[in-house]
Amino acid sequence: MSISEPSESVEKRNPIRETLIYIAMTVVALTTVGPFLIMISVSLTENIRFITFPVELIPTPITLENFQLLFARTDALRWLFNSVYVAFVSTLGGVITSSMAGFAFARGDFWGKTVIFTLFLGILIMPDTALIVPQFVVLSQLGLVNSYTALIGPWFASIFGTFLLRQAYLSIPRDYDDAATIDGANLWQTWWQVLMPQVVPAMATLAVLRFMGNWNSFFYPMIVTSKSDMRTLTVGLGTVARSGGDAGLDMSGAVLGFLPTLLVFILMQRYIIRGISLSGVKG
Amino acid sequence: MAAASPSQRATSQFLRRLRRSLPWYPFIIVNTVIFLVFNLVPWISMFRYSVLKTDLLSTREFVGLDHFVTMLTDAKLHKAMLNTVWFTVMYIPLLVAVSLGVAVLVNRPLRGMKAFRALYFLPNITSVAVLSLIFRRFLSPRPDGPINFLIGLVGIPPQRWLIDVNQAMPSIVGISLWEAFGYFMVIWLAGLQAIPSELYDAAKVDGANGWRLHRYVTIPLLRPTAAFIIVIATIGALQVFGSIFILTGGGPVNATTTVVYQIYSEAFNFGRFGYASALSILFFVIILIVALIQSRYLRFGEDIY
Repeated sequence: MSISEPSESVEKRNPIRETLIYIAMTVVALTTVGPFLIMISVSLTENIRFITFPVELIPTPITLENFQLLFARTDALRWLFNSVYVAFVSTLGGVITSSMAGFAFARGDFWGKTVIFTLFLGILIMPDTALIVPQFVVLSQLGLVNSYTALIGPWFASIFGTFLLRQAYLSIPRDYDDAATIDGANLWQTWWQVLMPQVVPAMATLAVLRFMGNWNSFFYPMIVTSKSDMRTLTVGLGTVARSGGDAGLDMSGAVLGFLPTLLVFILMQRYIIRGISLSGVKG
Repeated sequence: MAAASPSQRATSQFLRRLRRSLPWYPFIIVNTVIFLVFNLVPWISMFRYSVLKTDLLSTREFVGLDHFVTMLTDAKLHKAMLNTVWFTVMYIPLLVAVSLGVAVLVNRPLRGMKAFRALYFLPNITSVAVLSLIFRRFLSPRPDGPINFLIGLVGIPPQRWLIDVNQAMPSIVGISLWEAFGYFMVIWLAGLQAIPSELYDAAKVDGANGWRLHRYVTIPLLRPTAAFIIVIATIGALQVFGSIFILTGGGPVNATTTVVYQIYSEAFNFGRFGYASALSILFFVIILIVALIQSRYLRFGEDIY
């Protein structure tokens, strides 16, 4: 992880102490990784109704029938598509609108700036869960339940992202704007061609946080979808967990939900950790 | 007329200001519209519906402040509030202790340390549905279920976990802890590594070592990090929902019905959208009060955060 190492070089190396530390760390690692290893192993096991210990970590024979069953019995492929589509559009939209608004709040001089900014600040402290029922009420009146608009809508703008990018734009010297203006650039060109390229790291951090946050969100997408074919993968897998199938089916669903986030984590770890130290909040 | 009247000057000043403002609005229009539709309108409708009795379909009746009076005698709500407190009281001290302990453990320049930290973070990137799928199986009441087998190795008899009235909530606490400790470990690490090593050197010169070094250097300097973590974690704990919805459905016998689950249940199981809106207001006020008390008590905001 991208946090720097402490400089405790003054301490003498003590091999016994080091060994004990490694043992302790391995025990903790087993508790976090173990369940995922068993999940994968069970998902590849033939005809398995329950997970029983001691568990056979490498099943014989290895089979994909649990996944075939999952795709045959549930709308898992459709959920996967929905999740990919919703997470992709939400992330792209949220990052671009945050970048635009962040630029306006950092550089703009417009009527209502302070009022709108203060209102945004007010939303940031609102707990999401308190608003879920009223959000459903409004969406059902607009006839938007079971629609991509409802799933993507609130994610298409990010107050947190607007603050994050405002900070990033504020750290750029005004000389860049002035130079661009002298060269005849309008606001859009100044934003897109001169300033935005300099805040790409902040946008990448935001994109990863938003993607993970959207992919893993459960309460809101569960509320605004009632038809199976509109569910996201997380919501759909929640119904699988409640339906009481066998362990093989459950674990193949878990693997399907786990792999995409694992992939993003492996590729984007740096940005996730940076995002936490920046904000302390996800999404 | 030689000069423009004051009102004309004000008008032209307003027009100039407007002309300067206009090019900026397109940059904030999407954010603002989304905020209006998904936050401000629901926020207003929460108050509007809190004085109605409605199932959104046929009934719609004005009941004034009846819902707020009902809350005073709603035994299920009181149970839900106690459950939420119970969850938080178990979860926060455990989370703080475990995440700090692990952070101290991995805050060393040893080989492979970054890989260990990444592994500890793994549960945190996983969705609640995946965690629930796994733990529903791991917490199976069967004697040969994973957790029961493991506790059997140290001589503890098999437990019923999620289907036991007394064990269901502690089980949810355990799952939440497993999911979150790696995240808070990262925040602790940032706090630990922000302590300048000169302070330790100075304390050693003054004769401090071992526990006293931590007592007089580490702990005081981690105070802002601790305050930050406790506030964030508590607000998160009060909102726990996904694992309860999937794993226990608030049961057995309402043992895991939290305030958020109760709001969900009133709206979507019983169609009482008016009462659920009133409960949402209550819940919002609770969170606000908790956050204010904590930030005052923990002197939050006095430091870098």
